[in-house]
Amino acid sequence: MGAEVMVHMEGVTKRFGKVFALRGIDLQLGRGRFLGVFGPNGAGKTTLLKVLATLTRPSTGTITIAGYDIVREADKVRSTLGVLVHRTFLYGQLTASENLQFYGRMFGVKKLPERILEVLQIVGLETHARQLVRTYSRGMQQRLAIARAILHHPSLLLLDEPYTGLDQHASTHLQELLRQLHAAECTIIMSTHDVQRGLELYDDIAIQCRGKIVFYGSAAGIDLHAFEQLYAEHAR
Amino acid sequence: MQHGRRRQNFGRISHQIATYVVMVIALWCIFIYAPTEEVQGIVQRIFYFHVSSAITMFLAFCVVFVASIAFLWKSTPWWDSVALSAAEIGVMFCTLVLITGPIWARPIWGAWWSWDPTLTLTLVLWLIYVAYLMLRADAHDPKRARFAAVLGIIGFVDVPLIRWSVEKWRTLHPKPVVIQAGGTTGLPPSMMLTFLVCLAAFWLLFVYLLRERVSLAQSRYDLEVLRHQFDTDLSK
Amino acid sequence: MFTRQVLAILTKDLKVEWRTREIFTSMVVFAMLVVVVFNFAIGANPELIQQVAPGVLWVALLFATVLGLQRAVQMENEEDCLQGLLLTMGDRSALFVAKTVANMLYLFIVAACTLPLFGIWLHMDIASHLAPLSLILMLGMLGFSALGTLFSIIALNTRAQAVMLPLLFLPVSVPLMIASVYATSKIVEGRGFAEITDYLTLMTVFDIVFFVLAFLVFDYIIEE
Repeated sequence: MGAEVMVHMEGVTKRFGKVFALRGIDLQLGRGRFLGVFGPNGAGKTTLLKVLATLTRPSTGTITIAGYDIVREADKVRSTLGVLVHRTFLYGQLTASENLQFYGRMFGVKKLPERILEVLQIVGLETHARQLVRTYSRGMQQRLAIARAILHHPSLLLLDEPYTGLDQHASTHLQELLRQLHAAECTIIMSTHDVQRGLELYDDIAIQCRGKIVFYGSAAGIDLHAFEQLYAEHAR
Repeated sequence: MQHGRRRQNFGRISHQIATYVVMVIALWCIFIYAPTEEVQGIVQRIFYFHVSSAITMFLAFCVVFVASIAFLWKSTPWWDSVALSAAEIGVMFCTLVLITGPIWARPIWGAWWSWDPTLTLTLVLWLIYVAYLMLRADAHDPKRARFAAVLGIIGFVDVPLIRWSVEKWRTLHPKPVVIQAGGTTGLPPSMMLTFLVCLAAFWLLFVYLLRERVSLAQSRYDLEVLRHQFDTDLSK
Repeated sequence: MFTRQVLAILTKDLKVEWRTREIFTSMVVFAMLVVVVFNFAIGANPELIQQVAPGVLWVALLFATVLGLQRAVQMENEEDCLQGLLLTMGDRSALFVAKTVANMLYLFIVAACTLPLFGIWLHMDIASHLAPLSLILMLGMLGFSALGTLFSIIALNTRAQAVMLPLLFLPVSVPLMIASVYATSKIVEGRGFAEITDYLTLMTVFDIVFFVLAFLVFDYIIEE
């Protein structure tokens, strides 16, 4: 246990007023593993990620990330997280560098200018650093959002349907980036609709349905066909 | 369970009867028992309703304050129901004060409205707590209760400040005749008795209304939870 | 870390505002509009105008504040930047402090730009009473900004956003309004500083009470 387990969720439910978005989630994810979360609309994938991202508190249950309790030590948890959802969290009136500068200062990233250049190079946007973000295409914005998410060297990356709205070129780029991050021992949890893309990257697979995890297992040896069968079986 | 329910019903019915009885006694006191005041004439009898409403209104908003703090602290829906109910009833009594005030004022001072401290305070409170009710109606579901709780706290904390500021502004309201400096009351004993009976009647009414309203709010809430559970169970 | 984050948010807000200057210009124009319309409504009687001048001044500033608050919080609404912000925060009340200071700054600049104009239009002698007036303005703006920031975040989560903010904000601010207007009118009339100490005390108490209260409850309203 201890340093081996990155994410530990036990008995987690989340209720929004009268709606139960999560009902009793138990989950354990080891460090450096890549977990793919699949499920139909309304299954609660976004809520699951939001709860992990400390954007909302669980109604019951405990969550620890890297050993820190998510409710009591929320600020320590936040500095280890990188979050990417469909909204980019970028300010359109600022340039790419200015956006990264802001987030870098908020996280207290050391040697910020060098790090900004580094992440811009990783996502291939170093030539557009001084352009206002509102002039970016959707793909470029998504790439910058990734740069924002990894800026502060997070140990856990949370991605909510990151391929949405990306063209072929940008999707391939993202996939390659995830491969690199995975290779660099970053723990990743990604929720997606897209059953076909990037199946080979996952270490573990979870299927979520109506707020519960109905399947959780290793992705080893599961090809596309087997997975589609699995999905059809569980995601009723 | 039957036994408990019967005891509950007995409590409610006896409370109901007590409220009616005391109210009838109060009305008798106000219109028959109490002597006519020399200067102001028959119109003065409104004073009993007016001041009792004002004190009860204040009590109601006090309950909102306490319930709001309790809700933020404990997050139980019951406290939220209490806050909502007390606010509704408070606004009702507040409206009564704002109606009886001018009715009293017109024959005596010749004007329907004068911007004197107490009446102005009541008007501002009316605006604040009507905004409270509108906030409840308008806000998105999970956050609604918390927002209302914050407003419930702010509104009440504001009361001394509003009073202070409005007092430095105008003074036309009759000096408090119920309790004067030095401890002696300006009211003859028969009027004092009438006033106290009326006040007791209003308080009984307030508590009765509060109980019924809270019970209604709780039932509604429970129904919604059950309904939602039923809907999701059905779709399985 | 708290101060670092407050400063980071503050500079970011000012930078974004500087690019468009939307908030600032709309506040200035709106304040001017209010004063001009009032003048037409009241008529050309200079004595009357002088009497109501402090009230008109503060109404103009208040309406401009409501406008500015709404736009300031809209800035975070695009691309859900507010959520992105929350992901980085240690103590979330730092966001409250930063936004309040930013709103105060906008108000301050708006006041600096419009006061000379109002002095002329409303026949108010502002120049010779600049020091006490600045104090009154500062105390008023702090209270209005603190409450306004809190309510603007609340209003963001309602259906009728634009309506909700003034509805919540204005009644609660009544004490501050009264004190500001009366202090201003006494000063402009030429009465001494000593006469307004009561009002200044009220304003200070109001500011402290509600700044602290807003600071404490901010966490509850900002969370999902």
